[in-house]
Amino acid sequence: MKVTIYSTPTCPYCRMAKEYLKNKGIAFTDIDVSSSRERAQEMIDKSGQMGAPVIIIDDKCITGFDKEALDKAFATPPKPSKPTASGKSGKPDKSSK
Amino acid sequence: MIYDLAIIGGGPAGLSAAIYAARFRLKFLVLAREPGGTVLKTHLIENWPGEKSLSGTELMDKIRSHAESLGTEIKQTDVSAVKKKGRNFELITDAGNFEAMSIIFATGTRHRKLGVPGEDAYYGRGVSYCAVCDAAFFRNKTVAVVGGSDSAAKEALLLAEYAKKVYILYRKDKIRAEPINAERVAKNSKIEIITNSNVTKINGEQLVRGVTLDKPHAGSKELKLDGVFIDIGYDAESSLAASLCVKLDERGEIIVGRNAETNIPGVFAAGDVTSCSFKQVVNAAAQGAVAASSAYRFVTEKV
Repeated sequence: MKVTIYSTPTCPYCRMAKEYLKNKGIAFTDIDVSSSRERAQEMIDKSGQMGAPVIIIDDKCITGFDKEALDKAFATPPKPSKPTASGKSGKPDKSSK
Repeated sequence: MIYDLAIIGGGPAGLSAAIYAARFRLKFLVLAREPGGTVLKTHLIENWPGEKSLSGTELMDKIRSHAESLGTEIKQTDVSAVKKKGRNFELITDAGNFEAMSIIFATGTRHRKLGVPGEDAYYGRGVSYCAVCDAAFFRNKTVAVVGGSDSAAKEALLLAEYAKKVYILYRKDKIRAEPINAERVAKNSKIEIITNSNVTKINGEQLVRGVTLDKPHAGSKELKLDGVFIDIGYDAESSLAASLCVKLDERGEIIVGRNAETNIPGVFAAGDVTSCSFKQVVNAAAQGAVAASSAYRFVTEKV
């Protein structure tokens, strides 16, 4: 699972979202869109959004610090087409990629 | 385990209550959906005694680390229900259920929506409720702040650091910012105030392109914009308290006495969720301290 967060340093919801990810032990790439216009444009192109944070989880895009949506995104069990090493596909497994 | 006190909310009121509760040696925890609270959305705070100017985030980092240094346990979680359980209270949360002898509601407020067509459709596509979050996306663009409060004036000042033009759209004839901020707005050549006007619609394609006003400005009801920041006030987050039969006033704010007590024994409230008239960080922190002291008395006298 690849997680990217587009954020600004002053945005409290970005911080909360990052805190949420850290608490869950989820690795993520943090992109500061305030310091680079190209990165901001990249975020707008990818998500159609002009508000931070935007969190991209694989191909799913979540806008704002939407805890319910995040809970749901990270609770989804791995897809059967990509079985985990242990083969327990019905169970959420943080280590699966 | 039964806690002496559960504090719901992690803004200035809740964390000030936590600092006092820790020093009273109460067994307590803080349950906060958004630790730091809405003050995090404030760009600059210039009326917190001892700090001439700092951001809402910096202030809350300091207050939070102060509370945590005294052993405060903050759980980032929603509280979905609070129920009476014998003489105590039970709190149902994503992080588990907790039982406490007393409660402080420091749940704050949530921003009000304008309620016009386009507001939801363009949320995050030019419509924002948080200038500190999103100002950076509007470099050299034209934006408007809807609202005439002190908070709206401060948002306009922050946005003027990025945008080339900032309108303040207000339904009354004069903005009611703190005079020091009203002066700054008046002096800022990028900011233009349009008074006695309401936004009736937010327009756009992929992103916001403008708003429709209820009366013409410079000959047209259509105002071209890249961003609309809505700051028209806040409503108290009091539904959880109401479910415990805590009395609210006609605005939906929790009615408290001078000791931060509500009509329900063991239930206290502090900060912007209460019926206090002056919604300020300094006031919220003070009320939080009073609420913790009252909870301390309630718990120790009950045993």
